Amino acid sequence: MSSEAHRSFECFGGTATIHVRGTSTASGEEAADEARSQLLDAHRRLSRFREESELARLNRDPRDEVPATLLLRRLAAAVATAGSRSGGLVDATLLGNLERAGYRHSLKGPGPFSLAEALSRRPQRAPAQPHPSRLWRSIGIDEGRGTIVRPPGVRIDSGGIAKGLVADLVGDALRKHRTYAVDCCGDIRIGGSAGGERTVRVEDPFGGDPVHELKLRDGAVATSGIGRRCWVGTDGGVAHHILDPCSGEPAFTGVVQATALASSALLAEVYAKAALLSGPEHAAEWLPHGGAVIRDDGSVDMVAAERSLGQLAVAS
Amino acid sequence: MRERKREAQRRLRAQREKAGELRGRVVAISLVCFALLWGIVFVQMATGHDPVLGDTSSKVAQRSGGADRVEPKVEPVEEEFIEAEPEPEFVEPEPAPVTTSQS
Repeated sequence: MSSEAHRSFECFGGTATIHVRGTSTASGEEAADEARSQLLDAHRRLSRFREESELARLNRDPRDEVPATLLLRRLAAAVATAGSRSGGLVDATLLGNLERAGYRHSLKGPGPFSLAEALSRRPQRAPAQPHPSRLWRSIGIDEGRGTIVRPPGVRIDSGGIAKGLVADLVGDALRKHRTYAVDCCGDIRIGGSAGGERTVRVEDPFGGDPVHELKLRDGAVATSGIGRRCWVGTDGGVAHHILDPCSGEPAFTGVVQATALASSALLAEVYAKAALLSGPEHAAEWLPHGGAVIRDDGSVDMVAAERSLGQLAVAS
Repeated sequence: MRERKREAQRRLRAQREKAGELRGRVVAISLVCFALLWGIVFVQMATGHDPVLGDTSSKVAQRSGGADRVEPKVEPVEEEFIEAEPEPEFVEPEPAPVTTSQS
Protein backbone atom coordinates (compact mmCIF):
# COMPACT_ATOMS: atom_id res chain seq x y z
CA MET A 1 0.00 0.00 0.00
CA SER A 2 1.37 3.42 -0.89
CA SER A 3 1.81 6.14 1.67
CA GLU A 4 0.78 9.74 1.17
CA ALA A 5 3.50 12.07 -0.09
CA HIS A 6 3.77 15.48 1.55
CA ARG A 7 5.42 18.71 0.49
CA SER A 8 5.42 21.95 2.45
CA PHE A 9 7.07 25.11 1.17
CA GLU A 10 6.91 28.89 1.05
CA CYS A 11 4.61 30.16 -1.67
CA PHE A 12 2.17 33.05 -2.25
CA GLY A 13 3.42 34.81 0.87
CA GLY A 14 2.61 31.90 3.13
CA THR A 15 3.04 28.16 3.47
CA ALA A 16 1.64 25.86 0.84
CA THR A 17 1.24 22.14 1.45
CA ILE A 18 0.63 19.24 -0.92
CA HIS A 19 -0.61 15.78 0.08
CA VAL A 20 -0.89 13.05 -2.55
CA ARG A 21 -1.38 9.31 -2.37
CA GLY A 22 -0.84 7.58 -5.68
CA THR A 23 -1.26 3.97 -6.68
CA SER A 24 2.34 3.54 -5.57
CA THR A 25 4.59 5.49 -3.26
CA ALA A 26 6.74 6.53 -6.22
CA SER A 27 3.80 7.89 -8.22
CA GLY A 28 2.62 9.88 -5.20
CA GLU A 29 6.06 11.36 -4.66
CA GLU A 30 6.35 12.25 -8.32
CA ALA A 31 2.90 13.87 -8.37
CA ALA A 32 3.71 15.87 -5.22
CA ASP A 33 6.89 17.20 -6.80
CA GLU A 34 5.00 18.13 -9.96
CA ALA A 35 2.29 19.88 -7.94
CA ARG A 36 4.92 21.80 -5.99
CA SER A 37 6.50 22.96 -9.25
CA GLN A 38 3.10 24.07 -10.55
CA LEU A 39 2.38 26.10 -7.43
CA LEU A 40 5.77 27.78 -7.42
CA ASP A 41 5.48 28.54 -11.12
CA ALA A 42 2.03 30.06 -10.61
CA HIS A 43 3.36 32.18 -7.74
CA ARG A 44 6.24 33.41 -9.86
CA ARG A 45 3.87 34.40 -12.64
CA LEU A 46 1.00 35.87 -10.62
CA SER A 47 2.72 37.67 -7.76
CA ARG A 48 2.14 41.41 -7.78
CA PHE A 49 5.30 41.87 -5.72
CA ARG A 50 7.58 40.58 -8.47
CA GLU A 51 8.40 43.25 -11.04
CA GLU A 52 8.72 40.76 -13.88
CA SER A 53 5.70 38.63 -13.11
CA GLU A 54 3.03 38.35 -15.80
CA LEU A 55 0.57 40.08 -13.50
CA ALA A 56 2.89 43.00 -12.76
CA ARG A 57 3.49 43.45 -16.49
CA LEU A 58 -0.23 43.38 -17.18
CA ASN A 59 -0.86 45.96 -14.46
CA ARG A 60 1.78 48.27 -15.99
CA ASP A 61 0.68 47.79 -19.58
CA PRO A 62 -0.83 50.95 -21.11
CA ARG A 63 -2.81 49.10 -23.79
CA ASP A 64 -6.52 48.33 -23.56
CA GLU A 65 -5.99 44.83 -24.83
CA VAL A 66 -3.03 42.87 -23.55
CA PRO A 67 -1.83 39.46 -24.75
CA ALA A 68 -1.85 37.10 -21.81
CA THR A 69 -1.06 33.48 -21.02
CA LEU A 70 -3.83 31.05 -20.21
CA LEU A 71 -3.01 31.25 -16.49
CA LEU A 72 -3.23 35.03 -16.46
CA ARG A 73 -6.47 34.95 -18.44
CA ARG A 74 -7.87 32.54 -15.91
CA LEU A 75 -6.92 34.90 -13.10
CA ALA A 76 -8.63 37.78 -14.89
CA ALA A 77 -11.72 35.62 -15.39
CA ALA A 78 -11.61 34.65 -11.72
CA VAL A 79 -11.53 38.32 -10.72
CA ALA A 80 -14.66 38.94 -12.77
CA THR A 81 -16.30 35.83 -11.32
CA ALA A 82 -15.47 36.89 -7.77
CA GLY A 83 -17.00 40.31 -8.28
CA SER A 84 -20.07 38.86 -9.93
CA ARG A 85 -20.66 36.07 -7.39
CA SER A 86 -20.20 38.40 -4.41
CA GLY A 87 -22.24 41.32 -5.72
CA GLY A 88 -19.07 43.39 -5.84
CA LEU A 89 -17.96 42.73 -2.26
CA VAL A 90 -14.95 40.72 -3.37
CA ASP A 91 -13.26 43.28 -5.55
CA ALA A 92 -9.75 42.53 -6.79
CA THR A 93 -9.35 45.91 -8.51
CA LEU A 94 -8.56 47.78 -5.29
CA LEU A 95 -4.81 47.53 -5.65
CA GLY A 96 -4.36 51.29 -5.51
CA ASN A 97 -6.26 51.52 -2.22
CA LEU A 98 -4.30 48.58 -0.86
CA GLU A 99 -0.98 50.25 -1.67
CA ARG A 100 -2.17 53.54 -0.19
CA ALA A 101 -3.09 51.67 2.97
CA GLY A 102 0.51 50.50 3.16
CA TYR A 103 0.46 47.01 1.62
CA ARG A 104 3.24 47.44 -0.96
CA HIS A 105 5.42 44.51 -0.07
CA SER A 106 4.89 40.91 0.79
CA LEU A 107 4.20 40.62 4.51
CA LYS A 108 5.65 37.65 6.30
CA GLY A 109 5.80 36.76 9.94
CA PRO A 110 3.77 38.21 12.79
CA GLY A 111 2.59 41.80 12.45
CA PRO A 112 3.08 44.60 14.98
CA PHE A 113 -0.31 43.92 16.62
CA SER A 114 -2.06 40.93 18.01
CA LEU A 115 -5.57 40.56 16.65
CA ALA A 116 -7.10 41.53 19.99
CA GLU A 117 -4.95 44.66 20.13
CA ALA A 118 -5.79 45.58 16.54
CA LEU A 119 -9.51 45.25 17.28
CA SER A 120 -9.26 47.39 20.40
CA ARG A 121 -7.56 50.15 18.40
CA ARG A 122 -10.38 50.21 15.84
CA PRO A 123 -13.66 50.30 17.78
CA GLN A 124 -15.91 51.21 14.83
CA ARG A 125 -17.73 48.32 13.13
CA ALA A 126 -19.66 48.45 9.88
CA PRO A 127 -20.43 46.00 7.10
CA ALA A 128 -18.58 46.64 3.85
CA GLN A 129 -20.32 47.73 0.65
CA PRO A 130 -19.44 47.24 -3.01
CA HIS A 131 -17.87 50.15 -4.83
CA PRO A 132 -20.39 51.87 -7.12
CA SER A 133 -17.99 51.89 -10.07
CA ARG A 134 -17.57 48.08 -9.99
CA LEU A 135 -14.36 48.18 -11.97
CA TRP A 136 -14.15 44.40 -12.02
CA ARG A 137 -16.94 44.52 -14.60
CA SER A 138 -14.60 46.23 -17.03
CA ILE A 139 -12.30 43.20 -17.17
CA GLY A 140 -12.89 40.95 -20.14
CA ILE A 141 -11.20 37.96 -21.73
CA ASP A 142 -10.84 37.30 -25.43
CA GLU A 143 -9.98 33.62 -25.62
CA GLY A 144 -9.83 33.68 -29.40
CA ARG A 145 -7.15 36.34 -29.39
CA GLY A 146 -5.57 35.21 -26.14
CA THR A 147 -5.90 38.63 -24.55
CA ILE A 148 -7.20 40.43 -21.51
CA VAL A 149 -9.25 43.52 -22.18
CA ARG A 150 -9.54 46.22 -19.54
CA PRO A 151 -9.15 50.00 -19.29
CA PRO A 152 -5.51 50.95 -18.67
CA GLY A 153 -5.01 51.74 -15.02
CA VAL A 154 -7.38 49.03 -13.79
CA ARG A 155 -4.96 46.88 -11.88
CA ILE A 156 -5.55 43.42 -10.50
CA ASP A 157 -4.57 42.20 -7.05
CA SER A 158 -4.00 38.44 -7.18
CA GLY A 159 -4.44 37.98 -3.40
CA GLY A 160 -6.70 35.21 -2.19
CA ILE A 161 -8.34 34.79 -5.58
CA ALA A 162 -5.09 33.55 -7.10
CA LYS A 163 -4.58 31.14 -4.20
CA GLY A 164 -8.02 29.63 -4.67
CA LEU A 165 -7.63 29.47 -8.43
CA VAL A 166 -4.23 27.80 -8.26
CA ALA A 167 -5.40 25.31 -5.62
CA ASP A 168 -8.16 24.31 -8.04
CA LEU A 169 -5.83 24.02 -11.04
CA VAL A 170 -3.30 21.90 -9.17
CA GLY A 171 -6.12 19.86 -7.61
CA ASP A 172 -7.55 19.15 -11.07
CA ALA A 173 -4.16 17.84 -12.15
CA LEU A 174 -4.14 15.46 -9.17
CA ARG A 175 -7.72 14.25 -9.37
CA LYS A 176 -6.83 10.77 -10.68
CA HIS A 177 -4.74 9.97 -7.63
CA ARG A 178 -6.09 8.04 -4.65
CA THR A 179 -6.19 11.05 -2.36
CA TYR A 180 -4.94 14.59 -2.60
CA ALA A 181 -5.10 17.93 -0.84
CA VAL A 182 -3.70 21.17 -2.18
CA ASP A 183 -3.41 23.72 0.59
CA CYS A 184 -2.48 27.03 -0.98
CA CYS A 185 -1.93 29.10 2.17
CA GLY A 186 -5.34 28.25 3.62
CA ASP A 187 -7.34 27.82 0.42
CA ILE A 188 -7.65 24.07 0.18
CA ARG A 189 -8.87 21.77 -2.57
CA ILE A 190 -9.50 18.16 -1.55
CA GLY A 191 -10.41 15.01 -3.48
CA GLY A 192 -9.16 11.76 -4.96
CA SER A 193 -10.46 8.57 -6.50
CA ALA A 194 -10.47 6.71 -3.16
CA GLY A 195 -13.09 9.08 -1.76
CA GLY A 196 -11.56 9.09 1.71
CA GLU A 197 -12.61 11.71 4.20
CA ARG A 198 -9.99 14.21 5.17
CA THR A 199 -10.09 16.21 8.36
CA VAL A 200 -9.89 19.97 7.94
CA ARG A 201 -9.14 22.00 11.03
CA VAL A 202 -10.21 25.61 11.23
CA GLU A 203 -7.51 27.75 12.77
CA ASP A 204 -8.31 30.01 15.69
CA PRO A 205 -7.45 33.59 14.64
CA PHE A 206 -6.69 34.41 18.28
CA GLY A 207 -4.01 31.71 18.44
CA GLY A 208 -5.80 29.03 20.40
CA ASP A 209 -6.59 25.44 19.45
CA PRO A 210 -8.50 24.85 16.21
CA VAL A 211 -12.05 26.10 16.64
CA HIS A 212 -13.64 23.41 14.53
CA GLU A 213 -13.04 20.32 12.43
CA LEU A 214 -14.66 19.51 9.12
CA LYS A 215 -14.71 16.25 7.21
CA LEU A 216 -14.32 16.65 3.49
CA ARG A 217 -14.22 14.03 0.71
CA ASP A 218 -14.38 16.08 -2.44
CA GLY A 219 -14.60 19.85 -2.41
CA ALA A 220 -12.87 22.90 -1.12
CA VAL A 221 -12.56 25.08 1.92
CA ALA A 222 -11.11 28.55 2.32
CA THR A 223 -10.66 30.98 5.16
CA SER A 224 -10.50 34.74 5.07
CA GLY A 225 -9.47 36.83 8.04
CA ILE A 226 -7.96 40.06 9.18
CA GLY A 227 -5.57 38.80 11.85
CA ARG A 228 -2.56 37.62 9.90
CA ARG A 229 -1.64 40.66 7.81
CA CYS A 230 -1.94 43.69 10.06
CA TRP A 231 0.33 46.70 9.93
CA VAL A 232 0.51 50.33 11.02
CA GLY A 233 -1.40 52.26 8.39
CA THR A 234 -0.48 55.60 6.87
CA ASP A 235 -2.76 57.32 9.38
CA GLY A 236 -0.90 55.62 12.24
CA GLY A 237 -3.81 53.30 12.94
CA VAL A 238 -4.24 49.62 12.40
CA ALA A 239 -4.52 48.47 8.81
CA HIS A 240 -5.03 45.08 7.21
CA HIS A 241 -5.37 43.69 3.71
CA ILE A 242 -9.13 43.15 3.39
CA LEU A 243 -10.62 46.38 2.20
CA ASP A 244 -14.14 47.70 2.17
CA PRO A 245 -14.58 48.25 -1.60
CA CYS A 246 -16.75 51.31 -1.05
CA SER A 247 -14.48 53.20 1.33
CA GLY A 248 -11.19 51.69 0.16
CA GLU A 249 -10.22 51.35 3.82
CA PRO A 250 -9.49 48.18 5.83
CA ALA A 251 -12.82 46.64 6.80
CA PHE A 252 -13.73 46.12 10.45
CA THR A 253 -17.13 44.51 10.23
CA GLY A 254 -17.38 42.58 13.49
CA VAL A 255 -16.23 39.36 11.83
CA VAL A 256 -12.53 38.55 12.16
CA GLN A 257 -12.52 35.30 10.26
CA ALA A 258 -14.86 33.37 7.98
CA THR A 259 -14.43 29.85 6.64
CA ALA A 260 -16.45 28.65 3.68
CA LEU A 261 -17.04 25.32 2.00
CA ALA A 262 -17.67 25.13 -1.72
CA SER A 263 -17.17 22.94 -4.74
CA SER A 264 -14.02 24.84 -5.71
CA ALA A 265 -11.35 26.69 -3.75
CA LEU A 266 -11.98 29.81 -5.79
CA LEU A 267 -15.65 29.88 -4.84
CA ALA A 268 -14.82 29.04 -1.23
CA GLU A 269 -12.43 31.99 -1.16
CA VAL A 270 -15.10 34.30 -2.59
CA TYR A 271 -17.74 33.08 -0.12
CA ALA A 272 -15.38 33.39 2.85
CA LYS A 273 -14.31 36.92 1.97
CA ALA A 274 -17.88 38.03 1.24
CA ALA A 275 -19.01 36.59 4.57
CA LEU A 276 -16.27 38.46 6.42
CA LEU A 277 -17.03 41.73 4.63
CA SER A 278 -20.78 41.58 5.10
CA GLY A 279 -20.53 41.50 8.90
CA PRO A 280 -21.96 39.18 11.53
CA GLU A 281 -25.61 39.81 10.67
CA HIS A 282 -25.33 38.71 7.06
CA ALA A 283 -22.24 36.48 7.02
CA ALA A 284 -24.23 33.24 7.02
CA GLU A 285 -26.02 34.30 3.84
CA TRP A 286 -22.71 33.91 2.01
CA LEU A 287 -22.12 30.37 3.17
CA PRO A 288 -24.60 28.25 1.17
CA HIS A 289 -22.49 25.12 1.60
CA GLY A 290 -21.73 25.73 5.26
CA GLY A 291 -18.83 27.16 7.17
CA ALA A 292 -17.79 28.99 10.31
CA VAL A 293 -17.87 32.66 11.27
CA ILE A 294 -15.74 34.00 14.11
CA ARG A 295 -16.71 37.32 15.60
CA ASP A 296 -14.60 39.98 17.27
CA ASP A 297 -15.30 38.52 20.70
CA GLY A 298 -14.04 35.09 19.62
CA SER A 299 -17.48 33.49 19.49
CA VAL A 300 -17.94 30.99 16.67
CA ASP A 301 -21.10 30.74 14.58
CA MET A 302 -21.35 27.42 12.78
CA VAL A 303 -23.33 27.68 9.57
CA ALA A 304 -25.08 24.57 8.30
CA ALA A 305 -25.14 23.86 4.58
CA GLU A 306 -28.26 25.00 2.75
CA ARG A 307 -27.24 23.20 -0.40
CA SER A 308 -25.59 19.82 -0.42
CA LEU A 309 -22.34 19.32 -2.24
CA GLY A 310 -22.80 15.60 -2.64
CA GLN A 311 -20.12 13.90 -0.64
CA LEU A 312 -19.10 17.04 1.12
CA ALA A 313 -20.15 16.91 4.73
CA VAL A 314 -19.67 19.01 7.82
CA ALA A 315 -19.00 17.30 11.09
CA SER A 316 -18.93 18.92 14.47
CA MET B 1 -54.19 -88.17 -15.49
CA ARG B 2 -56.23 -85.29 -14.17
CA GLU B 3 -54.84 -86.03 -10.70
CA ARG B 4 -51.25 -85.70 -11.94
CA LYS B 5 -52.04 -82.48 -13.72
CA ARG B 6 -53.55 -81.01 -10.58
CA GLU B 7 -50.49 -82.09 -8.60
CA ALA B 8 -48.23 -80.42 -11.10
CA GLN B 9 -50.19 -77.20 -10.92
CA ARG B 10 -50.00 -77.28 -7.12
CA ARG B 11 -46.24 -77.75 -7.21
CA LEU B 12 -45.88 -74.97 -9.73
CA ARG B 13 -47.93 -72.66 -7.57
CA ALA B 14 -45.87 -73.60 -4.53
CA GLN B 15 -42.66 -72.90 -6.45
CA ARG B 16 -43.94 -69.54 -7.56
CA GLU B 17 -44.97 -68.66 -4.03
CA LYS B 18 -41.57 -69.70 -2.75
CA ALA B 19 -39.80 -67.75 -5.49
CA GLY B 20 -41.93 -64.70 -4.72
CA GLU B 21 -41.22 -65.10 -1.05
CA LEU B 22 -37.48 -65.36 -1.69
CA ARG B 23 -37.58 -62.37 -4.05
CA GLY B 24 -39.37 -60.35 -1.37
CA ARG B 25 -36.82 -61.33 1.25
CA VAL B 26 -33.92 -60.40 -1.03
CA VAL B 27 -35.50 -57.04 -1.78
CA ALA B 28 -36.26 -56.40 1.88
CA ILE B 29 -32.77 -57.39 3.01
CA SER B 30 -31.23 -55.24 0.25
CA LEU B 31 -33.30 -52.24 1.24
CA VAL B 32 -32.47 -52.71 4.91
CA CYS B 33 -28.75 -53.07 4.15
CA PHE B 34 -28.82 -50.06 1.85
CA ALA B 35 -30.65 -47.95 4.40
CA LEU B 36 -28.36 -49.14 7.18
CA LEU B 37 -25.22 -48.30 5.25
CA TRP B 38 -26.49 -44.90 4.26
CA GLY B 39 -27.60 -44.31 7.81
CA ILE B 40 -24.09 -45.04 9.06
CA VAL B 41 -22.56 -42.77 6.43
CA PHE B 42 -25.08 -40.04 7.14
CA VAL B 43 -24.49 -40.14 10.87
CA GLN B 44 -20.76 -40.12 10.35
CA MET B 45 -20.88 -37.18 7.99
CA ALA B 46 -23.43 -35.27 10.02
CA THR B 47 -21.36 -35.56 13.15
CA GLY B 48 -18.34 -34.19 11.32
CA HIS B 49 -16.37 -37.43 11.13
CA ASP B 50 -15.81 -37.60 7.44
CA PRO B 51 -13.44 -40.55 7.05
CA VAL B 52 -11.76 -38.91 4.08
CA LEU B 53 -11.06 -35.76 5.99
CA GLY B 54 -9.89 -37.71 9.00
CA ASP B 55 -7.50 -39.92 7.08
CA THR B 56 -4.06 -38.39 7.11
CA SER B 57 -2.33 -41.42 5.73
CA SER B 58 -1.41 -41.48 2.10
CA LYS B 59 -3.43 -43.83 0.00
CA VAL B 60 -1.24 -45.22 -2.68
CA ALA B 61 -2.48 -46.74 -5.83
CA GLN B 62 -0.71 -49.97 -6.56
CA ARG B 63 -0.14 -51.34 -9.95
CA SER B 64 -0.38 -55.07 -10.16
CA GLY B 65 2.74 -57.09 -10.62
CA GLY B 66 5.30 -54.47 -10.82
CA ALA B 67 8.64 -53.96 -9.39
CA ASP B 68 8.28 -50.50 -10.87
CA ARG B 69 5.79 -49.45 -8.40
CA VAL B 70 4.87 -45.85 -8.75
CA GLU B 71 3.86 -44.07 -5.62
CA PRO B 72 2.26 -40.82 -6.61
CA LYS B 73 2.65 -38.16 -4.04
CA VAL B 74 -0.66 -37.68 -2.42
CA GLU B 75 -1.06 -34.50 -0.49
CA PRO B 76 -3.04 -34.81 2.69
CA VAL B 77 -6.52 -33.88 1.71
CA GLU B 78 -7.02 -32.35 5.10
CA GLU B 79 -5.03 -29.27 4.18
CA GLU B 80 -7.41 -28.35 1.42
CA PHE B 81 -10.22 -28.14 3.86
CA ILE B 82 -8.52 -26.12 6.53
CA GLU B 83 -10.65 -23.10 6.99
CA ALA B 84 -8.67 -20.18 5.67
CA GLU B 85 -8.37 -17.19 7.95
CA PRO B 86 -10.38 -14.30 6.56
CA GLU B 87 -8.18 -11.86 4.72
CA PRO B 88 -7.93 -8.50 6.46
CA GLU B 89 -10.33 -6.05 4.83
CA PHE B 90 -8.52 -3.38 2.80
CA VAL B 91 -8.90 -0.08 4.57
CA GLU B 92 -7.60 3.07 2.94
CA PRO B 93 -5.57 4.93 5.54
CA GLU B 94 -7.13 8.19 6.59
CA PRO B 95 -5.59 11.10 4.69
CA ALA B 96 -3.46 13.52 6.66
CA PRO B 97 -5.41 16.38 8.25
CA VAL B 98 -5.03 19.89 6.91
CA THR B 99 -5.62 23.27 8.48
CA THR B 100 -7.42 26.15 6.86
CA SER B 101 -6.22 29.53 8.00
CA GLN B 102 -6.41 33.10 6.80
CA SER B 103 -5.03 33.24 3.30
